[in-house]
Amino acid sequence: MSKKAVAPKESNRYLSSKESTLFKELLSLYEAKQLKKGLKTADQILKKHPEHGETLCMKGLVLVHMGRREEGVELVRKGIRMDLTSHIVWHVFGLIQKGEKKYEDALKSYTQALRFDKDNMNLLRDVAQLQTQLRVYDGLVETRHTLLRLRPTARQNWIALAVAYHLSGHLAEAKKVLAEYEKTLKNVPHYDVEHSETLLYHVRVLEELEQHSEALALLDVSAKDRTIVDKTAIMEIRARLLLKLKSDEAEHAWKVLVEHNPECYDYYKGYMLNQGLSLDENPAEALAILHEFSIQFPKANVPRRLSLSLASGEEFQTLAQAYLLSGLTKGIPSLFVDVKSLYTDTTKLKSLQDIAESIRKDTTPDPSVASSSVSTEPTTYLWVLYFLAQHYSYLSEYLKALELLELAIAHTPTLPELYTCKARTLKRAGDFFGASRAMEDARLLDGQDRFLNTKSAKYRMRAGFIDEASALLGLFTKKDAPSPGADLEEMQSLFYLLEEGDAHRRAGRLNLALKKYAAVQRVFDDYEDDQYDFHGYSLRKFTINIYLNVLNWEDHLRSHPSYIKAAIAASRIFVNVFDNPKIASGNIDGGATDAEKKAKKKAKKAQKEKEDAAKKAASATAPTSTNEDKGLDVPYKDDDPDGIKLLSSPELLELAAKLLQPLTTLAQSNIEVWIAIYDVAIRRDKHLQAAQALTHARTLDPEYPDLHVRVVHARHFVSTLPEPIPSPSGPVFIETIQKMLPEEVSPETFNSQYLQNHSTSGKAILATAQASCALGASLQEMEDLIFTVLRDEVQLDIKTALEISSFLKELKSSRLDELHQAFDVRFTVSTAFKTSDELTKLREWALTTKANDSKSSDNGVDAPVENEAELGKDA
Amino acid sequence: MNIRLAKAEDVVGMQQANLVNLPENYHIRLWIYHIITWPQLSYVAEDPKGRIIGYVLAKIDEESEDKTADIHGHINSISVMRSYRRLGLAKKLMLLSQDAMASIYKAKYVSLHVRETNKAALGLYRDTLGFKVADTEKEYYADGENAYMMRFNFENES
Repeated sequence: MSKKAVAPKESNRYLSSKESTLFKELLSLYEAKQLKKGLKTADQILKKHPEHGETLCMKGLVLVHMGRREEGVELVRKGIRMDLTSHIVWHVFGLIQKGEKKYEDALKSYTQALRFDKDNMNLLRDVAQLQTQLRVYDGLVETRHTLLRLRPTARQNWIALAVAYHLSGHLAEAKKVLAEYEKTLKNVPHYDVEHSETLLYHVRVLEELEQHSEALALLDVSAKDRTIVDKTAIMEIRARLLLKLKSDEAEHAWKVLVEHNPECYDYYKGYMLNQGLSLDENPAEALAILHEFSIQFPKANVPRRLSLSLASGEEFQTLAQAYLLSGLTKGIPSLFVDVKSLYTDTTKLKSLQDIAESIRKDTTPDPSVASSSVSTEPTTYLWVLYFLAQHYSYLSEYLKALELLELAIAHTPTLPELYTCKARTLKRAGDFFGASRAMEDARLLDGQDRFLNTKSAKYRMRAGFIDEASALLGLFTKKDAPSPGADLEEMQSLFYLLEEGDAHRRAGRLNLALKKYAAVQRVFDDYEDDQYDFHGYSLRKFTINIYLNVLNWEDHLRSHPSYIKAAIAASRIFVNVFDNPKIASGNIDGGATDAEKKAKKKAKKAQKEKEDAAKKAASATAPTSTNEDKGLDVPYKDDDPDGIKLLSSPELLELAAKLLQPLTTLAQSNIEVWIAIYDVAIRRDKHLQAAQALTHARTLDPEYPDLHVRVVHARHFVSTLPEPIPSPSGPVFIETIQKMLPEEVSPETFNSQYLQNHSTSGKAILATAQASCALGASLQEMEDLIFTVLRDEVQLDIKTALEISSFLKELKSSRLDELHQAFDVRFTVSTAFKTSDELTKLREWALTTKANDSKSSDNGVDAPVENEAELGKDA
Repeated sequence: MNIRLAKAEDVVGMQQANLVNLPENYHIRLWIYHIITWPQLSYVAEDPKGRIIGYVLAKIDEESEDKTADIHGHINSISVMRSYRRLGLAKKLMLLSQDAMASIYKAKYVSLHVRETNKAALGLYRDTLGFKVADTEKEYYADGENAYMMRFNFENES
């Protein structure tokens, strides 16, 4: 805030000379965040000039900083009304709005402020930050221009203008500004990291302009005279530019990079690309090169692993044999995950299986020979069992995998990895209770390891044990947090929020599920807000390249799988509740689990104490109470802790649409996204959007079961409308559907054609039943259809079986038990289809652990751990 | 596994890996702050699907309370997912970060804190990377555990 000319006496901005001095003091006190004194000073002025707008605003601002937001904001509003042409009142209002994260409104207020004080540097800098946050890049260029004109001696003003041009897509202008800037520098500092970063940014601009020679020249000269000091950056950019320039030096440049970090895939790719090779073709040549590299860097894993992707036939056999044997001898736990991506090639899969089986044969201890004379490492045997167990588990041969794991556990009962693998296998096979128990066995072997703790909690949530999961998580969360979950949410743990949301959803506690999904959304909102301060900061630090990348990352933030998952899951709940509001009302009470109730009580109590304290503080006449700066940001307040308001919102579909909106550009290749968008759009009568969603989904996978259901739904929807959809969206919608389901074909025929084409797919059978449901088929028809999944030739996994079960349940079919019995026979290991009596027993059993139900065991927390958390012990 | 310099878009992956592995966790703002301030010092390891399975988050301490102190690097956080151990990833991540500290910022040494009871990490720092215990900080961690302050001098690097 800055104060200019004295106002004329008749103006309501006028202050007598004493008060005028006091006002200046108030401004400096505010800058220094001397809140108490500031408030006192403001009151002094107001005593004499009670309607002085600027003072009212400043007092309001100080109050907000002191945590008396409502009162403060009211004063600010009053102040504005008193003095509409003051830059100070609008500046203050802008600050308040920015604190409320209303960036657009804040920018409007700032623009207003600038009208009355156009060269105010503070205002201009804040405006630039808001414009960047809002991606108003043309406006940003203008603001940065003004700032540079006002203060051309500040280095960062030049860079800031170049960045503004860059962001607005005017690279050539950015280049000009940088060149001008460098001319103004008198003494080019040596070994200055800030200057080095600026030059690297200049090189980037040239490279993006495809002026590769010029970029290379600047890079080389700056590297030589040591004005660019980042060696890795020099090497990387140099190699890239030389490749683009098709220079002879390129090969060497890429080689230097491989030498610098032989574990970086990109460097090998660059080297190959420069040799005219890709990692997919010309395998012989590429393999020869990789062989060279693996001799030069015997400790590097990447060249050996890349060779496995390229080689085939006998060569693959030889390389794979050496690779597996070395990994198994060293006992590398990730060996299977590492080679798994080769399994898309079934010959390689078979080959790897044979190699591992033969290593197993060679290392199996011979019981007739005394154990002292074993010729091979006993641990190789252990690790090959582990490898093969993962292998068979991956191939859905669960019983075989479990058998191998029992052998391995008998050999070494203290290796947590064996239990984590067992847990994963049981989970895949549908035994969520056994899985949870096995994971807890793993955790008990190393109670200090948060990784195992997280896993066990996750598996408990999958088995529906939310409270018990929370108890585990609490071993690593802050003790003073209202609950372990609250701490994890505060720390932005995405895995936790999603897992617990899913667990609530599976248990039918939709309100609590929605709460967790909404919390995921809030984490991403915070991720987005948090860039704000860096718009100014990074310019002061001159780290432009990374800053531009941060902006780009922020622009694509919601393409993150966790956001997508949460958005789709929440949107499905919103749609289901919209279709059937009963599931919301039936859901609401008895929602929370015991621990949550406790936590909530605790949180409520804490909240009340806090509020009481705040009230006390406020009533104890704040001016003398505290100087503590609470900042301008509105603290998050949860006035719907159970998500009940959320679930009963009159705007369910609008909420869903808002969640999905960013995904229309950020997750276009995700078919589930388009299905979710269709479901919401069609219910909101956004026919054009619904049609587009179907078209997008169809380009991704025209036979996708969930898409089939929507196509039938859309056709049925149009044919049952009392009045046609008005133009232009109506005709487009109809045309879109006709492309997928020709007019002359009835939806019933279309549906049975789909079934015929996919008669051995469990998912397709479910989709056909769902489509029939949309067409109003009878319950018996749908049941008969569903029961065809029991034919031997039908492919059916646990996930689909569970979906089928809940579909029948929704239909209130009397044949649900019959279906469960059949599924229970089919999925031998699974516990998902047990009777409720059996489930009660299983739940009890799952929460006991090996340690306390078998006397012979000594696997307590203190047991010696063979694989003791070594970080890089092989070095 | 692929090892490379941390990029802007890695911050979420690094943050989430840290939450799964270690008890000391940080808001995203801190991760962004480090990567924007010292973009050359933090490295990541990723699995075949491009998921972050290990990271080192590092910074430069330019001014400490002791004004005469040398410029030095500091490791804020390092971890590798349990399922990706024994590959030497932590060591490789550390070496790349240390190299950048010494060559770009002319750091004289690098420091870090480690829990007294974390034998595995102590082994890596002391035996593999040549760190020495410089000091013990009482009750450094939230749960009351002491920390060793360890140091490694870059004397022979230029």
